[in-house]
Amino acid sequence: MARFRLLLLTEFKLFRATVPVHLIAILQPTLLFLLMGLVLVYPTFDMAVARPTTPEAAAHVEALVSAMRQVGSPIGLPYINPILVEAPVQGATRQIITVEDRDGAPTAVQRYGLIDSNLVKNFRNRLTAAGLRLWNGSLGRRGVLVEEHPWLPRDLPYTLYFGVALLPMTVCLAASLLGGVGTAMDFEFGAITEYRLAPLSPALILAARLVRLVLTALVSAGILLAAIGLSTGAWPQASPQLAALPLVAAILLPVAVTAGCLGIIAGLILRRTIPTFVVGLTASLGGWLLGDAFGLAAGFGGGYQAVSRLTPNAHAVELLFRPYYGVTVAAPASSALALTLFSGGMVLLTALAYRRAVIRPMGDHPRQRRSRR
Amino acid sequence: MRRFWILLSTELKAWRHDPITALGGFIAPAVMLVAFGLLFGGRLTFKIALVNQDAGPYGALLRQTFDEVLSPFGTSYYDVADLPEDAAWRAYQTFRIDGVWVIPADFSARLAAGEGPTVAMHFMNYNDDRAKNHRIYAAEILWRFYEKARTELRPPAELPEPPLALAEVYPLPVMIDWFPIIAVGIVLLSITLGGMMNIFMLTYKEQVARITLEFGLAPRLLAWALAPKALLALIMGWLTGIVVMGLVYLWIGIWPGRYLWAAWLLAGLVALFWIALALLLGLRTRNYMPGAIATILTGVLVFFISGGLSLVRANVDRVIWLAWLFPNTYAVDPIRDLVLFHAWPADWTITLLRLIAFAGLSLAVGMGLAARGLRRCG
Repeated sequence: MARFRLLLLTEFKLFRATVPVHLIAILQPTLLFLLMGLVLVYPTFDMAVARPTTPEAAAHVEALVSAMRQVGSPIGLPYINPILVEAPVQGATRQIITVEDRDGAPTAVQRYGLIDSNLVKNFRNRLTAAGLRLWNGSLGRRGVLVEEHPWLPRDLPYTLYFGVALLPMTVCLAASLLGGVGTAMDFEFGAITEYRLAPLSPALILAARLVRLVLTALVSAGILLAAIGLSTGAWPQASPQLAALPLVAAILLPVAVTAGCLGIIAGLILRRTIPTFVVGLTASLGGWLLGDAFGLAAGFGGGYQAVSRLTPNAHAVELLFRPYYGVTVAAPASSALALTLFSGGMVLLTALAYRRAVIRPMGDHPRQRRSRR
Repeated sequence: MRRFWILLSTELKAWRHDPITALGGFIAPAVMLVAFGLLFGGRLTFKIALVNQDAGPYGALLRQTFDEVLSPFGTSYYDVADLPEDAAWRAYQTFRIDGVWVIPADFSARLAAGEGPTVAMHFMNYNDDRAKNHRIYAAEILWRFYEKARTELRPPAELPEPPLALAEVYPLPVMIDWFPIIAVGIVLLSITLGGMMNIFMLTYKEQVARITLEFGLAPRLLAWALAPKALLALIMGWLTGIVVMGLVYLWIGIWPGRYLWAAWLLAGLVALFWIALALLLGLRTRNYMPGAIATILTGVLVFFISGGLSLVRANVDRVIWLAWLFPNTYAVDPIRDLVLFHAWPADWTITLLRLIAFAGLSLAVGMGLAARGLRRCG
């Protein structure tokens, strides 16, 4: 145990030699989350409505603006922030609505600037929703009422899902990058010779490295978890068996072990820092993209869903639904089993790769034994 | 001039020793292209099931309406699966579809009698953006349903006209899609990052190998030694851009055609601005990995704030002040004009002059500081 503690301490001291790499591997996913938070669409849109220029139009504009203010989620945010503006002389920058008379019918004409189809869709749908409110008002009891039955009691921001899906990627990135770079540097700086000569069990050496990687990865996840909580107000909830943070840590632990093993294997095979870094980065980003990064895999089709089952990320995201959303998705038991198998299998592979790359070159090869006789 | 070509071929040989590092300028844009392509480039419809329990004409009319209402993407808002009720709920509960609409058995009767007909809309709201879309797409469906009920049903429903009709005007005959706009931003990012990563790699290796001492002792202007580096980095940036543009072409069929030279000229001037800064970083950093990652993160950050995701011209008031300090903000929309619309940008001359100024100033400052630092080492 004393040797293990010493090894673990040495592993942590490696931080001092690679401070910038550690900081980047740990903080980059949080930075990505905060950046994407700026970019992801928020439901409330500013919509320009031209001030009426005739008394006839004034009543329609007033009714339209009032209807626009009612368009929104009954359990979330409003969708329109109508802004009365003077009608521009030149074309609109994004959009502007003017109420005109067309063929004797009062018409809300929405003029767009040079915007993309997604923005057009959003503006068009919102104007239609406001117009429909007015039409339903005139239809009275003949108007169709859409009874909403949302899955959750309130609408939750997309940034929350994005952040939750980033949690497994965070531990993957930290563990695989640091594991790979650290192992590659052992070869580059000759420290591998000391490992070869050390009278320690390779299992102890690998265990110390993995523990360090897992702990570092969980710290990285903790930083992202705090960023998610502070920006969305959503914090993980405890289960009957575990408190909130230990629950999240327990879900992310096998992901970190898997990624750490992947990084160590890449370092053992490639033995150079830069290619190992590229492998770790690509594996982490690939696992994230294929593992429910932007929505639950089932909604993207059978092919994507099948591939996502091969990533630990997808299983982890589905398990994280309970602490974050209070609901269970998919089959938690099979996700937990899958994560256990991933991590167990990778540990085994790592041991084999370590033996081949570190232990076997020391000699005691069967051919060498025969030649000595 | 002969010395210049000798230095250029020397730089190329140095580059060939470690070509994999050139991937640093390719990986981040490629991953972002795939990520945004998956998010915004596919068939952006909602998969729902419709359970029509209504025996009357209005239920069937409502069902028909789903297929007819088209979004600006040119597809219907919904992909409707006509599943039996059990199968529909199973698909919804296993997240294979986004929602279930249920038209009750008395829908037509209540609509005809004016007794408040209802439709139940079950949908996922773990993502508020998709929940919002469910609600506002429903408005499009119902609007069209009322129009069809008034005009196409026999006998037509006695429904009044809308108090306010709707119309829209778009400035071009064909609408711009979002993913191509983002893709061009990513191509510009790839050219910039390709140039930055290559110059960083070249100068870092020389710094570590102490070849910079020889530079410091060079009898001639150091610009002759630094210019081949910048040129090679620029060429590598252009090549990275060609590869990413090729991916974009394979995915969505967009290619600049005869405007390639103009687009690459603008992008090259943007790259030169950043190459000068990466040159300084390469000569000063002691550790490759943090320098490389800092380079990539800078490029990605500038992409996000300088019009990488949307048209700058249409969102001028939303562009933060910091972005106007970077040439990317001025270049990205004219490049989009050339690549997406095959049209000469209306602001071509002023943009070109601005980018030349940015690149010239950056190269003068960057190479000047680099030369000063190298001379000091010598």
